[in-house]
Amino acid sequence: MEELMQILEELRPDVDFENETSLIDGGVLDSFDVVALVGELNDAFDIEIKPNHLIPANFNSAKAIMALVEELQDE
Amino acid sequence: MIYFFSTILPQFLDNMQRVIGPLTYTSLNFFLFVAVTALVYFLFPAKKFRWVILLVANIFFYMVCGWRFGLFILFTTLSAYLIGLWLEHRAKASKKLLKEKKAEWSREEKKKYKEKTKVQMRLIMTLALVLNFGILAFLKYYGFFSGSLNDLLGAFKIGFSLPTLKLLMPLGISFYTFQTMGYVVDVYREKTPAQRNPLKLLLFVSFFPQIIQGPISVYDQLAGQLFEGHSFDFTRFKHGCELILWGFFKKLVIADKAVIAITTVTSDYGAYNGTTLTFTVLLYALQLYTDFSGGIDISRGVAQIFGIDMIENFRRPYFSKSINEYWRRWHISLGAWMKNYVFYPIAMSNQFLTVSKNIKQSRFGKTAAGAHIAKVLPTSVASLIVFLLVGIWHGASWKYVAFGVWNGGIIMLSILMQPLFDAAADKLHVNRKSIPFQLFRVFRTFIVVLVGYVFDVAPTFSESMRTFWLFFTGQNFQEGMQQIGSLGLTSNDFNVIGLTTAFLLLVSLFQEKHEKEYGENVRQFLDKKPFMLRWAVVFVGVLAVVVLGVYGSGYNAADFVYMQF
Repeated sequence: MEELMQILEELRPDVDFENETSLIDGGVLDSFDVVALVGELNDAFDIEIKPNHLIPANFNSAKAIMALVEELQDE
Repeated sequence: MIYFFSTILPQFLDNMQRVIGPLTYTSLNFFLFVAVTALVYFLFPAKKFRWVILLVANIFFYMVCGWRFGLFILFTTLSAYLIGLWLEHRAKASKKLLKEKKAEWSREEKKKYKEKTKVQMRLIMTLALVLNFGILAFLKYYGFFSGSLNDLLGAFKIGFSLPTLKLLMPLGISFYTFQTMGYVVDVYREKTPAQRNPLKLLLFVSFFPQIIQGPISVYDQLAGQLFEGHSFDFTRFKHGCELILWGFFKKLVIADKAVIAITTVTSDYGAYNGTTLTFTVLLYALQLYTDFSGGIDISRGVAQIFGIDMIENFRRPYFSKSINEYWRRWHISLGAWMKNYVFYPIAMSNQFLTVSKNIKQSRFGKTAAGAHIAKVLPTSVASLIVFLLVGIWHGASWKYVAFGVWNGGIIMLSILMQPLFDAAADKLHVNRKSIPFQLFRVFRTFIVVLVGYVFDVAPTFSESMRTFWLFFTGQNFQEGMQQIGSLGLTSNDFNVIGLTTAFLLLVSLFQEKHEKEYGENVRQFLDKKPFMLRWAVVFVGVLAVVVLGVYGSGYNAADFVYMQF
């Protein structure tokens, strides 16, 4: 989780990732942020996020992103 | 039997088509058709089967608009149906086998099998895309390619040429192809289950309020609403009618008036000076927005009467503060489609991410500029590709390629150079949150949009280049005013356009503010006002459309611009 928080904060220092729960639905992250984030996550956690994982529920909060990462690591 | 299908039936359908004619949204017949369909729909006792009424209405609608094209839409539906089922079956079978072999297979074996399944599924999905987009591309671009190729062969004096075919486009083929292929990809991505009833899928593909010019709906969002039997709801009915009225206002009062002047200019493009062309491009911005968004309002209003909410397609795009934002507020459903099915797959592909990673790890990547470029390169290149596609989708011509490059190029540059802009603003001590700066951003974005429209208005790419030149060198106010005076509109017409546009602007500003503050639209706002006021608004609206609207002989309002796409 710490590694994830670090990536997120580096990506968008202006966002409060601890508490924000509608990163996508609320339009906090745009599609450019998402693509950059996916690149970082793939590298850091050795996973492969595909377009079918790009549903708001998977990216709305740091917790949700962590859940997706863990799910993909299990595969 | 053969005689029936070869002669009697076609004759009957031709006659029906002739008598009822294409059900254009602004025709009286369309409204009779909607009224009868709604009546039968809500009176039909078995709610569970009300969707069948909608399907019958769609088939009827499509038949009278051009029954000979029915085969195209049937092919798209059938291919999506079969491939959707196969994809789902394959994914399930693969999961089942993996479960059975859980203990038996090694991690490597499982991975290999998964990969094999994915490759197969991707191949079959690609087949659906190639077939359906192939038909669309052939009908749309054959003329362009055969023409260009023949010119080229002629230039080299090669005695061979492709035959010229006169191809007509089936109604709504762009819109239903995009929508249906979205469904296939969603099934492939296991985002949505495959539809088991081919007739239900046909209903989704052919839903009549959207077939002419969208919005391009997403299966998950629309399909459930189509199949559910809705009861009559007065508030929905009222909101639907109000939205239709607003659409009529935009389309018949503003767009169809403005289009008269625009057509006069485009039919003899070389005859006008820079002032007139500047005015024409501005008028075009108005006409395109009111025509397209007005048509969408009518579509969404009709759907709402049946209890169905279709996605929004416009959110006051000319108020956007960046071109990026503009494309999130203009033709939203196309933008969303492109984002989901083109932008993300390209930007997130291994190749793109690897390039970005390589830059990051290089020496250049350690600098601030390098790090930024590594981060935004995949997105900016993918954006450019998306806009090239959007451009080409508008038409097979170099000017539309230029339209795509212009929009995509500006977005690409603005992403790549963001840090520079930020630094410049800091250095110049610009308060980026101040109202004047925000207004400046809106104005700047509108100019970028207008430049894009020049490619649309000018008949060819070289003409569009000449237009830009004339913007600077060919301005002559007096001559321009004379030319504008003879574009087929009286000064009274221009007054009406001016006043109604001012009204549209005021309503749009109110919508913008009210939606942000209260999260409700104008119709919901009106609901809370006294009975008399509400009816007065509706009455004035009807009066405006009837008195100020453009009606040719026999209600022949102009076709919707986006019908031809």
